[in-house]
Amino acid sequence: MSVLRAEGLIVPARIGPLTVPALRDLNLALAPGKVLGLVGESGAGKSMVGRAIAQMLPPGFTVSGRGLHFAGQDLLTMPATERRALLGRQIAFIPQEPLSALNPVRTIGSQFGEHLRRVGVADWRAAAVAALQSVHLPDPAGLLDRYPHQLSGGMCQRVLIAMAFASKPALVVADEPTTALDVTIQARIIRVMRELQQLHDTAVLFITHDLRLAAEVCDEIAVLYAGGVVEHGPAEVVLNEPLHPYTKCLLLSAPEIHGPRRGLYTLPEQMPGLRALADIPGCRFAPRCPLARESCRNAPALLVLKDAHRVACPYPGEVPGISAGPALAAPEGQAGAVLVEARDLGKTFRTGTPFRRRAVAAVQGVNFTLHEGEFLGVVGESGSGKSTLARLLMGLERPTSGEIRLAGRDVSRWDGAARRTRLQTAQMVFQDPQSALNPRRRVASIVTQALEAAGLPAATREAKAAEILADLGMPAELGSRFPNQLSGGQRQRVNIGRALCLVPKLLVADEIVSGLDVSVQAQLLALLARLRAEHRFALLLISHDLAVVRYLCERVMVMQRGVVVEQGRTEDVFANPQHPYTKELLAAVPKG
Amino acid sequence: MVLSFARRLAAVGPILLVVSLLLFVALRLLPVDPAAMSMPPTATKVEIEAARSAMGLDRPLVEQYAIWLGQTLHGDFGTSIHMRRPVGGLLLETLPATIELSVAAMIVAGLLGIGGGLALFALRNRRGEAVAELTTTLMMSIPEFLWALLFIFLFGVLLSALPFTGRLDPGMTRPVVSGFLLLDALLVGRPDIYASALRHLLLPAAALGIAFAPPVMRVLRTSLVDVYQEDYIRQARLRGVGEARILLAHALKNAILPTLTLMGVQFGFLFGGSLLVEVIYAYPGMGNLMVDAVRNADLPIIQAVALTYCVVVLAITSAVDALVLLLNPRLRA
Repeated sequence: MSVLRAEGLIVPARIGPLTVPALRDLNLALAPGKVLGLVGESGAGKSMVGRAIAQMLPPGFTVSGRGLHFAGQDLLTMPATERRALLGRQIAFIPQEPLSALNPVRTIGSQFGEHLRRVGVADWRAAAVAALQSVHLPDPAGLLDRYPHQLSGGMCQRVLIAMAFASKPALVVADEPTTALDVTIQARIIRVMRELQQLHDTAVLFITHDLRLAAEVCDEIAVLYAGGVVEHGPAEVVLNEPLHPYTKCLLLSAPEIHGPRRGLYTLPEQMPGLRALADIPGCRFAPRCPLARESCRNAPALLVLKDAHRVACPYPGEVPGISAGPALAAPEGQAGAVLVEARDLGKTFRTGTPFRRRAVAAVQGVNFTLHEGEFLGVVGESGSGKSTLARLLMGLERPTSGEIRLAGRDVSRWDGAARRTRLQTAQMVFQDPQSALNPRRRVASIVTQALEAAGLPAATREAKAAEILADLGMPAELGSRFPNQLSGGQRQRVNIGRALCLVPKLLVADEIVSGLDVSVQAQLLALLARLRAEHRFALLLISHDLAVVRYLCERVMVMQRGVVVEQGRTEDVFANPQHPYTKELLAAVPKG
Repeated sequence: MVLSFARRLAAVGPILLVVSLLLFVALRLLPVDPAAMSMPPTATKVEIEAARSAMGLDRPLVEQYAIWLGQTLHGDFGTSIHMRRPVGGLLLETLPATIELSVAAMIVAGLLGIGGGLALFALRNRRGEAVAELTTTLMMSIPEFLWALLFIFLFGVLLSALPFTGRLDPGMTRPVVSGFLLLDALLVGRPDIYASALRHLLLPAAALGIAFAPPVMRVLRTSLVDVYQEDYIRQARLRGVGEARILLAHALKNAILPTLTLMGVQFGFLFGGSLLVEVIYAYPGMGNLMVDAVRNADLPIIQAVALTYCVVVLAITSAVDALVLLLNPRLRA
């Protein structure tokens, strides 16, 4: 008897005159006490499954199919009031963004109390305290009087997990519950979820983009691509012996933190959007698949292989043959001259009221050098001072102590000379291209922004724009588009391309691949590697993702609470970490 | 935010000082001669000069300002040139009336605005939306004095349902305790006076309030639409919380914050707008006092009334800031 059983579930979406299935023919069964992972990149339809269960779909989307059974009742035919009665009681949801999923103007207690009273708990205060204790939150009674903004993201997520499990539901749907959190917090949240899930024998639908995380958390995994399951089986098997080319490519396109260094598989293009799906006959992955052939124009059925391992591809035997390229070679030749030198660099922010001044040391006593052409990664959790360090280098903040030398000049003070040195030497790529690119400018004008002051003729700028776009691997006609007409990956390319317009000696990149799908991330990392070989610039790469740093950077610097706790050659640091914090960071990365 | 609130309170003093200075200088630049106006037409030049000297108008401007400021700080607003009564007393008589009118109008604007905002929100993406939008636009384009005239015509003349001059029925005497008529009627235990005062207040308050309601409606509707996009609304739905509770206990609590801020700003305009409405309804408030004073170039009254407006507006803005601070825990951090 399964808690949740989907039979031929379809979610058609109406886009203009077209009706395209955002989810098609989904068959799943989830037994009590089991964890099923739904894995896929954005647009795969994985969140649509959770939304179909609650029947809270975006406008234009409907849900149909042979049945979506929860504990013997069909959620599809059930009256809305009955379905709503199940929500929060029998079916609970854990959200993606814990900080925004709690009402900011109501206390934790008031929201917890509302929920517990609704599910019929008489002494809600005691029950809430017990629930908060079960997720290992300190001082649960005091927590009830606090507001969400007074808590960290990890704490909010624990509150939401406690809330979800408070009614002892039969099914919990967790939609990317740790994506917004740091990796060490992620490890703790997963542990808490697992504990409660095992304690109450709850069935969990775990939705994530991270195949390795899914393999660590789940019993079974279903990989989704463009609205359909392409591979489904026991977690171990799917991770270690994937038999669908997409699963294999997905695994190969994500850099790893353990094992030998290897290259990344770069899938071309990106997952087709809903509108494009209508035009793809047969296998939806075929346009990007390395194994595609003529017969793929007919839709493949989900083949049952062994041990309930099912694959929607007629050529599973060829999948193990797909391989990523060789590991990125370290650049040849001698390390160049010293480009950046930071000595005892510090930045203290002053906040608070005149009565209660507080000084926050965002960066403290940082020493490092960066040579010409060298790639240096900076890792650490949010609040560790990584971004402040980048802003200090770029002159967006002024150091409160210490010294920065850029290309041999002291740029710690803010004067005209320091400004000129910076402009000639360094460029920065910001994290979010959506807000970093002026939405009112065309791409060609954005990427040549650095030429603006020179007052060159329009033709020169156009020629340069075409050159940069070619460099970025983008067709020249995209130059006349606006940023919001591009995909997320293309926008980030433009963001990088703009910084490279005058080919700086130093590129400072702040989390430029976070929030992107792994296949897009692989494309960007490949782009950076290629641009490096062509232009020879140094890179300071800030990332919370250790695997990305390991893939791209020769040296790494680990920061914690504003202090560099460890630095050295990436291979040495990751293979043999000395500082306990580095060890903790490495241990928290899901191994699968 | 607590800090910025304290900062704003601290700025009240300097603001008032600047306003008073501007006011004083502007009025002294006017080509009027209060001394001459205060004398009978038969007065001789010498007599006028004597009056000017008695009023202190022959002294240097800086000195005049210093004297006036000193006296004002001590609560002495001088004597009306035209009415020959202390300005302070005149203010005490008229200010409560105007506050009563403005507060009543604000209540009308608030009820209409919040009710209308909820209605607009409920109608979103429905067929009635266009009609509702058109109605608010129409309401917004009618100024308060036009509403005042419309209401007089409709409820006062055509239907003869409500009175439209003064504060009380003829023959009733105003009990004076606090100056606030509705309150005083209760204090002296005269329900008939209370009823009459309320009936007299209804039309001017409605005219003033209805003119200020449409922006409140619009802002509340927009904030609600924004709040409904938030994760916590979706999460509450996923917990099975009912729609009515989501609106009242979750969405409105957030959406009301920008609405309150707007209403605070509006109160200042509304207080100023009361001037015209008072004149139309012959309502004996500060607006009428001001209009008479301007007509007679009664400088002490003009100065005092203008300063009072400034103080009231600053007080209201500060009170709204404090209220928003109280309702928004994020600002209290």
